[in-house]
Amino acid sequence: MKNTWSDSSDAALVIAIGRWSEEALAEAYRRHGGAVFALARRVCRDAGISEEVVQEVFVKLWTTPDRFDPERGSLRSWLLAQTHSRAIDRLRSDSSRRTREERDVSRTANAGYDVEREVWDLAVADRVNDVMGDLPDLERRAIELAYFDGYTYREVAQLLDTPEGTVKSRIRSGLKRMRADLVDAETGQPWHHS
Amino acid sequence: MAPQLTHPDIQSLLGAFALDAVDDDEASIIEIHLTECPRCRAEVVEHREAASLLSFTGTAAPEGVWSRIAAGLEETPPPFQLARPSAPVRPLAFRVMAAGAAVAAGVIGVLATQVVRDNSRIDRLASIASRHGVDQAAAAAAIAPGARKVHLSSNDGAQAVDAVVLRDGRGYLIQSHLASLGRDQTYQLWGVIGAQTISLGVLGDQPAITPFKAAGPLKALAITVEHTGGAVAPTTSPVVQGFVST
Repeated sequence: MKNTWSDSSDAALVIAIGRWSEEALAEAYRRHGGAVFALARRVCRDAGISEEVVQEVFVKLWTTPDRFDPERGSLRSWLLAQTHSRAIDRLRSDSSRRTREERDVSRTANAGYDVEREVWDLAVADRVNDVMGDLPDLERRAIELAYFDGYTYREVAQLLDTPEGTVKSRIRSGLKRMRADLVDAETGQPWHHS
Repeated sequence: MAPQLTHPDIQSLLGAFALDAVDDDEASIIEIHLTECPRCRAEVVEHREAASLLSFTGTAAPEGVWSRIAAGLEETPPPFQLARPSAPVRPLAFRVMAAGAAVAAGVIGVLATQVVRDNSRIDRLASIASRHGVDQAAAAAAIAPGARKVHLSSNDGAQAVDAVVLRDGRGYLIQSHLASLGRDQTYQLWGVIGAQTISLGVLGDQPAITPFKAAGPLKALAITVEHTGGAVAPTTSPVVQGFVST
C-alpha cells in the first residue's frame, strides 16, 4: 500500500482524509493499523471481533476526521484510545466475562510482553519491554489488568487484593513512569512521522 | 447515587480514566471536569500516549481488514450538496470551537460521545449541563443512547453549528457560530432523508438551541440563508453542512 502519502506527517494525512483522500487513509492504516489490530486482539481475544473493531475505528476516522485534534495527542494515541474504548465495550458486554474473572490472575498479568519483533522500529518495542519490566510489580500488573483485560480499577483492586486507592495511584504513577522513560527521554514519539 | 468527586479525587482517577478503567458515573464526572480543567486534560493526554506505547508491537496491519474498510468507503455518500458548494472540501474546521468555546458546548461535545446505560445518569448529566446554560432537553438528548453529534461547517471553517440527532429523528441545534444576517433574511435548517431535502425549521437570524424532528433517517444536515419566513426548498448554497454519521 505504498502511496504518495508515505512521507507525509500524520497531521497532513488527517487533513487529506478530510478532503476524501482514500490514499491518505490507506497510509494511516498502513502506519497504525497493526497497532490498532494488536490492541483490539489483545483486549477482545477474538480475531474476528478485533477485525470488526479495526474496521470501525478507521471508518470513523474517514467519516469524522474532525474528531481528531492534534493538539490533544498523536494520531496513533487517538486511534488506540478509540480502539480501546470499543474493545472494552465488546469485552464488558461479553457474557463470558464472569468466566474470565475466574482465571488465574498471575498468568494474565504476566502474559503478553512477547512484543513482536517484526516491527519497523525494534528499538521502541525493546524499550517498551524493558520499561514495563522495570516497573514495580503492582504498577505493571494493575496497568495490564486495566488496559488489556478491561477491568475497572475497583475490579483490579479485588483481583489483586489491594485497596482501591492504592490501585488508582499505582496506575497513575505507572503511566507517568512509563511516559518519562519511553517518551520524554526520547527525542519525540517513537512512531511520529514528522 | 452519583459520587461526589473533589478535584484531588478526580486527579487520582486520571490514570484509570485514561485506561477506560473507571465506573461510568466517575467517567461522566471526569469528562465534564476535563472540559474545564486544561491541566487534567493534559495529564489524560499524556497517560493515553503512554498507554498507546503498550500497543507498539509493529505488527503489520491486516490486509484483509483494509479490503473491507476500502469496500465500505465506496458506500460513503458523496459530499452533501443542496446546491453546489464552492469547493469539494469536507468540514475540517477542527479547532473552530476550540478557542473561546463555551463551557456548555464543551459539556455537550463530550457528552454526545457517550453511550448511557441508565436513566439516572442521564438525569444527572442533564442537570449538570443545564447549570452551564444548556437547555435540559437538549442536554438529555446529547447523552441519550445512540445520540450522534453532527458538526456542520462552512467550507472555510469560519462558520459552524453543532447538532445532536437521536435515533428517532429528533434532534437539537446546540451551538451556532453563524454570521449576522440582514433584516429580511433568516437561517433555515434542512435535512437530507434518502434522496429528499426536507425543511426542518426556520431558525431566525440568530439560531439558539433549537429542537427539530426528521421523519426518516437523516443523512446530512445543512443550513441556508433564506428570505424571512423561509422557503419550501433551498434557494441558496448551504452556509454550513455536515453528515450524520451512521
